[in-house]
Amino acid sequence: MSNSVGRIRSLLIAVALVLLAAASPAQDWIRTGTGLGVERVRLAAADFKPSTTDAQNSQLLKTFNDVLWNDLDNAGIFDLVSKSFYPLQEPGQPSEVNFPAWNSPPPNTSMLAFGNLGAAAGKVTVQGWLYDVKNQASPQVLGKQYADNATTDAVRVIAHRFADEIIFRLGGGIPGIAESKIFFVSERSGHKEIWMMDYDGANQQEVTHLGSISLSPRISPDGSRLAFSSINKGGWEIMMYSFDLNRMVGFPRFGGMNLSPSWSPDGKIAFSSSRNGYPNIFVIDGSGGNSRRLTNDKGPDVSPTWNRKTGSQIAFVSGRTGLPQIYTMEADGTNLQRITDQGYAVSPNWSPNGQFLTLSWMRKYGPGEPGSNDIYLMDVASKQWVQLTHDAGRNDFPCWSPDGRHIVFQSHRGGSDQIWSMLADGSSVKQLTFKGANTQPNWSWK
Amino acid sequence: MQTAAVTDIDMHYNDIDVYSGPGQLRRPLLWSFGLHLAFAVFVVLYATFISGFGRNSWGSGGGGDAMGATLVSSVPLPAVPAETTNVLATESKGLSKSQPTVQEKEPEAIPIPDKNTKTKIRPAPVKTETQRKPEPEPAESNQIPYGEGGPVSGPYTMNAGGAKGGFGFTGSGGDFGSRYSYYVQAVQRRVTENWLKYEVDPRITEAKRVYVTFDIARDGHPSNVEIEQSSGVPSLDQSAVRALQRIDSFGPLPVDYSGSKVSVEFWFDFKR
Repeated sequence: MSNSVGRIRSLLIAVALVLLAAASPAQDWIRTGTGLGVERVRLAAADFKPSTTDAQNSQLLKTFNDVLWNDLDNAGIFDLVSKSFYPLQEPGQPSEVNFPAWNSPPPNTSMLAFGNLGAAAGKVTVQGWLYDVKNQASPQVLGKQYADNATTDAVRVIAHRFADEIIFRLGGGIPGIAESKIFFVSERSGHKEIWMMDYDGANQQEVTHLGSISLSPRISPDGSRLAFSSINKGGWEIMMYSFDLNRMVGFPRFGGMNLSPSWSPDGKIAFSSSRNGYPNIFVIDGSGGNSRRLTNDKGPDVSPTWNRKTGSQIAFVSGRTGLPQIYTMEADGTNLQRITDQGYAVSPNWSPNGQFLTLSWMRKYGPGEPGSNDIYLMDVASKQWVQLTHDAGRNDFPCWSPDGRHIVFQSHRGGSDQIWSMLADGSSVKQLTFKGANTQPNWSWK
Repeated sequence: MQTAAVTDIDMHYNDIDVYSGPGQLRRPLLWSFGLHLAFAVFVVLYATFISGFGRNSWGSGGGGDAMGATLVSSVPLPAVPAETTNVLATESKGLSKSQPTVQEKEPEAIPIPDKNTKTKIRPAPVKTETQRKPEPEPAESNQIPYGEGGPVSGPYTMNAGGAKGGFGFTGSGGDFGSRYSYYVQAVQRRVTENWLKYEVDPRITEAKRVYVTFDIARDGHPSNVEIEQSSGVPSLDQSAVRALQRIDSFGPLPVDYSGSKVSVEFWFDFKR
């Protein structure tokens, strides 16, 4: 009797446990790890199809497809499937996707971007999708619709946005850079003025019209203001241009020689000023007030750059021991450390993740020494470095892209100073400017 | 008889010529000794004065500094995969071992004997088991080259639930891995990029696998980073946790995913 009661009780407990387990909310688990082969995502980008019969379609489609392809190619995280492998029937709608034709050789792609574009009465509508074609059960990763005026500029922006969406989804949460801008110095108008362009070299336009010499443009973290140094009656001063007002705005004059401004992530500006006699590093608020001096020595201290992740460290160039070398310090001027051990090191720029400095370095300086100014990458914590450019003329002024995957720099490799960009491992080198002499690039923060 | 006598005399004469006494070698030996001595003196004098004995010669140091070249171990970039250059065909072994093709031998033609030749029947040499040398089984490489080896037509990745450290399409852990495999892949890539192996104690060459668990919130932010199973190497455990602390966001969870968070078990295999 007692035995059967015990059995019933244990049965009841078991049933209760099962019910409890079933009632608790389902927990999704991912189990993964290193050593599974980090490879680039294999991505196919089918040409978008026209969805209307407007005469503008062919021209807009050509722009759109070219820009989208270049953006994905430049991203550095995709293994783009060559268009010659694509099936003849390219989809323009989700219902037209032929999964076996894409997910098996020759394309053998994992991801497929496709869609359609149609102009009608001066307006353009773009629909784009991203499909995981090896996952036929739930293939859609992304579906987007854009509408704008039917101009090539608008279509270019739409293509940039769609590419950025794809890069954001497949790149582990790092936003794409297709809509970022690059600021630089160009003298193609007769004077050294500040210019800007899209990250791929398109839409180059002049920003300042001062008619003097303007150098070292630095865009603010929010993209609303541009600080640079320019020579005027009083000498070299920090100047400010507002993109909200589209004109120069007033900024305090400090006297002496004021050069190379640099924005911190929270909007302060570090720069080099010789108002006390020797060029030293100073910090001011974004409005120009509250100035503080950080270094105090004879050696010229120039080109400060903030740790873009923490905003608590500054790297700069100092000639206090003779040839210029890179130093780091805390944002209050303490804990000074020399980073480079020899040669001629200039133009530091801190990576967005705070881990790396990129710099221009001539490791052996002197007549007859081999090598030239080349771009290097240095891990700030371990001081290990790697050379990114080789045997390619003078390279200077490297600057990180907002995603930390690209570096833009100035190079003399083609016989004149031009702006080039590359992936941060030194591959995929591309020339961005071709006209006149263009120097000192600065990539926007987003 | 006469001829014999003549030969005898000849022999005698020859004997004298060949076996001459030792006194006749004295002069050449003296010459030889003198010349050797002169050569030795010449060598010593030459080495001392003419060839510049004592001057620094090669290998004795000085001049020219060596340039130390160190490399950054991990740039936060997608590593360039070892791509196979031939896109269509591949020479890789892949996952499964292919059977060697058996070459069928043509039967040997038996010569038709002439009518009158003698045929000798020889017993064929019998090959016994002991005569064959034992061949070691070739070790299979478990390397999977880029872009191959995995299930060709499976979803993008194949790490869902299932056993710890293994693969499985479905399991007790829900179907997140199979539905949003691209997200899993992105998480894996991002963590691997941010794992700095140089943080590990340089004396360690190999270690047990570390298992780390964490949650990814809807906005992609990782939280609750915990070591589920330690490797026994504190610096390796620390580097694994730091890899996750470096990441602000994995990107928002897929829009059509209903849960508020997803849990990740991530392992780190360390080998130098």
